[in-house]
Amino acid sequence: MARRDNDIWWRIAWRNLWRNRRRTIITASALSFGFVAAVLMMALMDGMLEEVVSNGTRVITGQVQIHADDYRPDQSLHATMGGREGLDVAGLLAAAESVEGVTGAAPRLYGGGLVSSGEETVGAVLVGMDPGREEGVSRFGSAMREGRMPGPGEIAIGATMAETTGIGPGEEVVLVASAADGSTGNELYTVSGIFQLGLGGFDNSYALLDLGSLQDLMAMDRARIHEVAIAVEHTDAADEVAEGVAAAVAGVSEGLLVEPWSVFHEQLYFMISMAGAMNAMIAMLIFGMAIFGVANTMLLATFERRREFAVARAVGTSARDIGRIVVYEGLLLGLVALAAGAVLAVPVVVYFHEFPVDLSGFVGTYSVVGSAVRPVLSAEYSWDGPLVAAVALVFTGILSALFPMWRAVRVPPADALAGR
Amino acid sequence: MQGNSESNGASGAAADYAVRTEELWKIYPQDPRPVEAVRGVDLTVASGEFVAMAGPSGSGKTTVLNLLGGLTRPTRGRVWIEGREITALGDRELAAVRMNRIGFVFQSYNLLPVLTALENAEFTLLLQGVAASERHERVRGLFKEIGLEGVEDRFPPKLSGGQQQRVAVARAVLGNPALVLADEPTANLDSVTAEALLDVMEKLNRTKGTTFVFSTHDPRVMERAGRLIRLVDGRIEGAAVESG
Repeated sequence: MARRDNDIWWRIAWRNLWRNRRRTIITASALSFGFVAAVLMMALMDGMLEEVVSNGTRVITGQVQIHADDYRPDQSLHATMGGREGLDVAGLLAAAESVEGVTGAAPRLYGGGLVSSGEETVGAVLVGMDPGREEGVSRFGSAMREGRMPGPGEIAIGATMAETTGIGPGEEVVLVASAADGSTGNELYTVSGIFQLGLGGFDNSYALLDLGSLQDLMAMDRARIHEVAIAVEHTDAADEVAEGVAAAVAGVSEGLLVEPWSVFHEQLYFMISMAGAMNAMIAMLIFGMAIFGVANTMLLATFERRREFAVARAVGTSARDIGRIVVYEGLLLGLVALAAGAVLAVPVVVYFHEFPVDLSGFVGTYSVVGSAVRPVLSAEYSWDGPLVAAVALVFTGILSALFPMWRAVRVPPADALAGR
Repeated sequence: MQGNSESNGASGAAADYAVRTEELWKIYPQDPRPVEAVRGVDLTVASGEFVAMAGPSGSGKTTVLNLLGGLTRPTRGRVWIEGREITALGDRELAAVRMNRIGFVFQSYNLLPVLTALENAEFTLLLQGVAASERHERVRGLFKEIGLEGVEDRFPPKLSGGQQQRVAVARAVLGNPALVLADEPTANLDSVTAEALLDVMEKLNRTKGTTFVFSTHDPRVMERAGRLIRLVDGRIEGAAVESG
């Protein structure tokens, strides 16, 4: 037997779809709006997560970090990269920056100390850094509320610490810190600026110094740093970039550990993963509810065509081909709804991306697992959300057709022809 | 046609008939009493016959046609089409028999409304896997013969009742079936159109040797039938009556 012309089933399904134009448009519209809602919701969620990740990693930590492999969890003063001899910092930074996707790398040294001014003394986390490099990695520079980033012999302190101690730019403070050689270092510094990151812990207890100044205070030579914070172009590519950096810096020194933010911001990563799963759940709920509505409509359409199915069966159409017609109708309905939904979704997502809705009049800035989040509804462009929603939509069409199909293939021809 | 008492002998062994039944019963379970729609019908229709089956409403004509065409299964009894017992077949095989060996014409035309006249007529050929060019050639040839030229691309609602019924006849005969079962094909047609349709079917019977079995109330159909079967209360009444 010659090969059958299977286009006929698509043709019948397509024409059946438009027999009751109004019903099809209403059903497809419901699916399209479901699609737009799912895509927009996921884009807004992505926007919020991007904000959380961005603030969680771009404020201070970067998206990839390099440490000595024994630095964590104790964060010992002596656990500098390359051991007590240190390493070629410039070489390390150059190796890290040679990796594709890396946009900046900043060396850091950490220590603990006391900041004193007159009667007031507060404990502080001391961060020695390169102000020029920090601009590409952290937001310390842009968070300067007063003054500027510190140069040699200078210090910048957090806004809350400034309020507590009553210190302002231009004033002098004494810094006392444990040094690497066991001695206690103390030095006089001029306050260059006050920063405000909006994160209580940092504004309250962080003090920034020029890297060389802190190395001097802590009796460490210039080859000794605790950390290199690295900024990457795309936060979701941090894992791959970290692998690249690890390979690139392996030749600089032994015992270096390169970690992406998903490792050192474990809680943040968990929350993002949970939110991603929630996205999928909500999309499933939206389309899961749609299935019942669409199935009901298709069932009605199938019931109205019992006689036609009976005629088709009478002239020799197999049950399989009858089922095929109904499933194709569901699939085509899904594709029509998808096309309409895509046309609607693109401008909506673009609008929310270009013109984020600022809710700061209603909600203040809040902090999620240590990351400041602005109350702004902003859509993030992504292929994942629309792709998931599109697949869900097409499957909704197909799944909605399964029960009507089951009914259609079981139409008893003689009874249906007799109107029973 | 033979009556209830005919012996079928080695039923199905020979294929000199289009359709044959043996002690055919159809009982519908219903409260308070089951309905015996067909009661022990023995029937043989030879190939090339033009047979009318008459009887009052509820006499079981449509049910017999449905049983002959494998649209419903008998409660008891057997049916052979050209020597092949169809009552023993599964759904898929039965669909294949209907596609290849049986044509149906219904009282209310029953064309598929989403297909054009040409697509409806070629539907069985399409199921049979006939190439598009051959299908179109055969449909157009038959349309010319039965006065349907020019309506190929029209959808059923744009056709008159007579045209729709002729398309249905075309669909039924184009697949070269052994048997065409027509359930009151002229019931919804005016007398002129009904005569024209009968002309068409008679011509197909004469020229192509297509076997027709009608159910009808229409005296014109009975007059033109080669043989007439009378069905009363689900049973064949008396012997066959030669007419026409």
